[in-house]
Amino acid sequence: MATTAEGFDAHHEDHAAHDHADHKPGFFARWFMSTNHKDIGTLYLIFAIIAGIIGGVISGAMRAELAAPGLQYMGMIVDMMGGDGSSFDQQGHMWNVLITAHGLIMVFFMVMPAMIGGFGNWFVPLMIGAPDMAFPRMNNISFWLTVAGFFSLLFSLFVPGGVGLGAGTGWTVYAPLSTSGSVGPAVDFAIFSLHLAGAGSILGATNFITTIFNMRAPGMTLHKMPLFVWSVLVTAFLLLLALPVLAAAITMLITDRNFGTTFFDPAGGGDPVLYQHLFWFFGHPEVYIMILPGFGMVSQIVATFSRKPVFGYLGMAYAMVAIGVVGFIVWAHHMYTVGLDVNTKMYFTAATMVIAVPTGIKIFSWIATMWGGSIEFKSPMVWAMGFIFLFTVGGVTGVVLANGGIDDNLHDSYYVVAHFHYVLSMGAVFSIFAGFYYWFPKMSGRWHSEFLSHLHFWVFFIGVNVIFFPQHFLGLNGMARRYPDYTAAFEYWNQISSYGYVIMAGSMIIFFVNIGYALVAGKRAAGNYWGEGATTLEWSLSSPPPFHQFETLPVIEDHHSADDHISDRPATA
Amino acid sequence: MNFGTIARNKMHFLTMLVAAFMVAIAPSGAVAQDISAPASTVDAAEVVAESVADGEVVIDETGGFEHFGPDRILGQPTSADEDMLASMTFQDQYTANGNYALWMHDAILLPIIFAISLFVLGLLLWVIARYRRAANQVPSKTSHNTLIEIIWTVVPVIILVVIAVPSITLLARQYQAPPEDAITIKANGYQWYWGYEYLDNGGFEVISNMLDESEALSAGEPHQLAVDNRMVVPVGVPIRLQVFGADVIHSFAVPSLWFKMDAVPGRINEKILLIEEEGIYYGQCMELCGARHGYMPITVEARSMEDYNAWVAMQPGGMTRAQIQAEDAAAAAPAPVEEATDDGTEEGEAVEAAA
Amino acid sequence: MTTATLEDRNRRTMLLAFGGALAMLGLGYAAVPLYDLFCRVTGFGGTTQVATEAEASAAERMATLAGGKSFSIRFDANTARDMPWDFRPTQVTDRVAVGQRDMATYIARNNSDQPITGTATFNVEPEQAGRYFNKIQCFCFTEQTLQPGQEIRMPVLYFVDPAVMDDPNMKDVEQITLSYTFHRAIENEETKTGELAEQDS
Repeated sequence: MATTAEGFDAHHEDHAAHDHADHKPGFFARWFMSTNHKDIGTLYLIFAIIAGIIGGVISGAMRAELAAPGLQYMGMIVDMMGGDGSSFDQQGHMWNVLITAHGLIMVFFMVMPAMIGGFGNWFVPLMIGAPDMAFPRMNNISFWLTVAGFFSLLFSLFVPGGVGLGAGTGWTVYAPLSTSGSVGPAVDFAIFSLHLAGAGSILGATNFITTIFNMRAPGMTLHKMPLFVWSVLVTAFLLLLALPVLAAAITMLITDRNFGTTFFDPAGGGDPVLYQHLFWFFGHPEVYIMILPGFGMVSQIVATFSRKPVFGYLGMAYAMVAIGVVGFIVWAHHMYTVGLDVNTKMYFTAATMVIAVPTGIKIFSWIATMWGGSIEFKSPMVWAMGFIFLFTVGGVTGVVLANGGIDDNLHDSYYVVAHFHYVLSMGAVFSIFAGFYYWFPKMSGRWHSEFLSHLHFWVFFIGVNVIFFPQHFLGLNGMARRYPDYTAAFEYWNQISSYGYVIMAGSMIIFFVNIGYALVAGKRAAGNYWGEGATTLEWSLSSPPPFHQFETLPVIEDHHSADDHISDRPATA
Repeated sequence: MNFGTIARNKMHFLTMLVAAFMVAIAPSGAVAQDISAPASTVDAAEVVAESVADGEVVIDETGGFEHFGPDRILGQPTSADEDMLASMTFQDQYTANGNYALWMHDAILLPIIFAISLFVLGLLLWVIARYRRAANQVPSKTSHNTLIEIIWTVVPVIILVVIAVPSITLLARQYQAPPEDAITIKANGYQWYWGYEYLDNGGFEVISNMLDESEALSAGEPHQLAVDNRMVVPVGVPIRLQVFGADVIHSFAVPSLWFKMDAVPGRINEKILLIEEEGIYYGQCMELCGARHGYMPITVEARSMEDYNAWVAMQPGGMTRAQIQAEDAAAAAPAPVEEATDDGTEEGEAVEAAA
Repeated sequence: MTTATLEDRNRRTMLLAFGGALAMLGLGYAAVPLYDLFCRVTGFGGTTQVATEAEASAAERMATLAGGKSFSIRFDANTARDMPWDFRPTQVTDRVAVGQRDMATYIARNNSDQPITGTATFNVEPEQAGRYFNKIQCFCFTEQTLQPGQEIRMPVLYFVDPAVMDDPNMKDVEQITLSYTFHRAIENEETKTGELAEQDS
C-alpha cells in the first residue's frame, strides 16, 4: 500500500539494467530448474489450471450422475478405469473415489497452488520491492513436490483401494474407513500425495515468511505492506502451524494401515475420534488458507478500481490475523455429531460464531473502500464485487451451521456442500479469477479481452449460482452429501444443479478462449495499465517485469501514513 | 416422481396389500439380513431367544400388529412437483426439540441471514450506482471513520448474541438426559445396513436392509428410504437412543426428527428422542462409510405403546416390560441358580472386596 | 537495523520457521498421549476413571456423610464386527447408591474354533458422567484370551464418585450407561501365547 515516487525511480533504473536483467537461461533450465519467482509462479498457475481442469471434469461426472436418480454413469467410468463396471459395489466405490479426488485436487492442487504458489510467488516479492524470494532453490523444490504429490494422487486412482480402484475415503480420510475399511495401496498413495503437497507447502510457507520479514525494500514497514502481502504472511503462518499436524495425523494413518500401530484403532486402545480432532485442527485453518489470499487480492483490486486507499487498512490486516488465530480454536464444529458433551459443543458454537465478526469487518471495509470512490468496472473489479456478495452468502450460511443444535440436522447434508462451495468455489475461485484478470497483462505482457472477461464473469456467476443455490434446498430437505443416488423427491433441484454445471463449464470455455486470444493476439500491456488507482510496487515495473527486478532496491518514503499512500504524482505507466 | 400423490391415489388397495405383506414377513424379520453380514450380528437375538424360552414366556405370534402403510408416512423429503416451497426447506418436525430448532432457524436465523445478504447486496448496488466513475469523477480520500468501524464491529456482536441465546437453549434441550424408564434402543451401524437392538425388551436385534426399487415402489414407499424391517419405536415416551458403529463410522440421521448421531466403533453415543406423532419417518446414513454408504436407509415407525408392545411380542426373544417384570418376579421366588464359571474364584474375591 | 547480512538473517528466520513446524509436528504426535491423558483426567468423551481400594473406601465414607442419591446403571455390551464372541451383561440395569461399591458381571463366549484374545474399549453415557464413574477392578484393564467354545464371567467393580452430587451437569441424570466393546486384539495370537508360556516357565 505504500508505493511512492521513489518506487517509480527504481523502475527507471531497472530499464537501465535491462540487458543484464533479462538474461534468461535455456528452456529446460528455465522451466524445470527454475529459481526465478516469476517463472515458478507461472508454473504454479499452469499447474493449477491443469489440476483445475481435471478436478472440474470430475465434478462434471458427479453432476451428470446426480442429474437423475439411479446410477447412470458410474459403471461406465469403472469400466473406463479398468474395473468391473457391472459390480454395484465398484460403482458405489467409484463415486467415493470421485468425490475424494475432486476434494483433494481442488483444495491442494488447484486453489492453494493458484493463490499461494501462483500469485503469492509472482507478486509478494514485487510488492515488497524484493529481487526474488529468500530461497529461490527451495522455491523450486516446493513446486516440484506439489507436482509429485499430484502424480501420487493420480496414480492412486489406478491401484486397488478396497472394493475397487482408487481411494474412496473422502478428502477427510477418516479412520477407520481409511485404515481397516480400505484395503489396498490406493489410500497409501493418496495419503503420500498429501505428504508431498504438504511438505511443499511448508517449505513454501517458510520461504514466504522469510522473504516478507527480511526482504522488504527500505522504508516498507510491516504496517505499510500491501494487504495481499499481509494475507500471504498470515496464510504462511497458518500453513506452517497447521500442516505439520496433518502430516502427523496422516503418518499415523499410514503406520496404522501398514505397520500394525493402533493410533486410531480401538482394538489397540486408539480412538478414531482423535483422528478427526487432528484432521480438523489442520482442516479448519486450511479453509482460511484457501480464502485469505483471496481477501488480500480483493482488497488490492477494490482499492485500485475505486481509486481510493483501502478503508481501515490496519483493521483489515489485523482482521486477517484474528481470523487466522481464531481459526485454530474452532475445529470441532466439523464434528458436532461425533458425540461431544454439551459444554464442548456450546464452546465450539460460541467460538465459531466469533469468526463472523472479523469477517464482517472485512466485508464492510471493502464496501467502505468503494464508498466515495470513483469506481471503474474493469473485469477484476467485477469479479471482486461478485466475490464480496457471494462470500457474504456463503458466510451467513456458515453462521447457521455454527449453531451446534441446528447442525444436528444439517451436518453432512447438501446444505454444508452448498455452504463451502459458496465460500470456496465462489469465494476463493472468484478471487482467483479477479486476481488473474488483474495481473494477467502484468504477467504475460499482453491484454486479455475485457469483453470476454466480463462475459466469463456473468456466465460463471449464473452457472455457479444455479449449481449451488439449489443445494441449500436439498440439504434443508434432508439430502445427504457423498451420495451417488437419491430418492426421487430430490430430483428436481438436483437436475437444476446439474444444468448449472453445464453453464459453468461453458464459462470456462470462454476463459480459455480469452487466454488463447490474449497470448496469440493480445495487445501489448503498459507498465501500469490500470492507471491512477494501482499504486503498489509491481505497477512500477514493465509488463511483463524484467527477468530480474529491483537490482537497486526501491525506497519507500516514510512520511506517509500507512493508509494515505496514493502517490501525489500521477502514475507514470 | 411424486410419492405423496401415488400414496393418495392408490392408498386404498395398496394399504391392505402392504399391511398383509408386512405382517407376513414380520416374524422372520429379525433374522433376515444381508448375506454379507457375519453370523455374529444375530447372536444377541438368538441368545436371548434361548433364555426367553427358558423363562416360559408365552409369545403371542398373532399379536394383532400391522405395520403402517404408506398413508402414514410423515417424515420424508418433499418433491418440488408436489410442493415447491416445502421442497426448499426443512421437513416437518415431529419432536419438540425439532420444532424448537425449526422455529429458531425459520424465525431467527433465516431472517437474519437474508437481511445481512440483502443489506450487503443493497450496499453494493448503491455504490455501483452512486460511485461509478461516470457519477463520481473525484474519489474521496477517506480511509478512516472510527465511529463506523465501531458500529460494524459491535452490531454483528449483538446479532450473534441474539443468535446465541436460543442456540444455547436448543443445545441444552437436546442434551437433556433421558429418564431412567426411557425405552432404550441401540442402533448398530454395519457396512451397509442398520441393526436395531431392543435392550429393554429382551435384547433382540432387528436387521434392516434397504428395499430394492421395485419392492419399495410396490409397497408405495420411496425408493432409497424404504427398508425391509423398520425400526419400530413407541410414540410419546422418551427413548434413550444409543448408537454404535460395528466396523467404520456411520451416522444415524432422521431429518424429520432433528436427530443425527455418529455411530463410532469402540464406543456408544446416546441421545434422547421423543416422537410426538404416530407415523413413519425416513432417514439415512450420513457419514461416509464405504461403497454402499448411500444404500443403508433408516425407517422409523412410531407406534402407540400398545402397538409397540404387540410388535415386540411378535419378535423372536421380544418381551414387553410387563413380561420382563413378571419374569423377574417369578425368578425372584426361587433363588437364582449360579452358572458355573471359569473364574469363579476371581468373582468371589470381587464380591468380598465389594462387601 | 542489524549488522548481520541478509543471508544470515534469512537463514535464522528459516530455522525459526522450521522449528515452529517441527514443534507442531511434535505436537501432532504428542496429541496421542495428551488426548488420552486429557480424556482420563477430565472424563472427556465419557472416559471412566480408575480408582484404588483406598479411594473407594474414602468415597464410601464421604457418600455416607452426604447421604442420598442413587443412580440406575445400565450395562451395555458390543462386539466389533470381526469378533466372533458373544458378549453380554448378566443384567441389563442395576441401581447403586452414590459412593457405594457395586459389582457387575459380563459373560463372554468364544464362538469360533480357535483361541482368540480380546481387548475391551469402554465409555459411559451421558459423557459428563465419565469423570465420576470409577472402576476399581475391570476385565477391560487387561486382555482376555478365550479358548474355542469357552465361556467366562468377567466382573467389573465400580462406584460413582460422591462429587457427582455437586455437578450441575449431572443434576438431571438418572441413568448412566456403562458400555464395553470387545475387539480382536491386534497382536499375533502365537506371540502372545508364546510370551505367556515363557513367563510361566
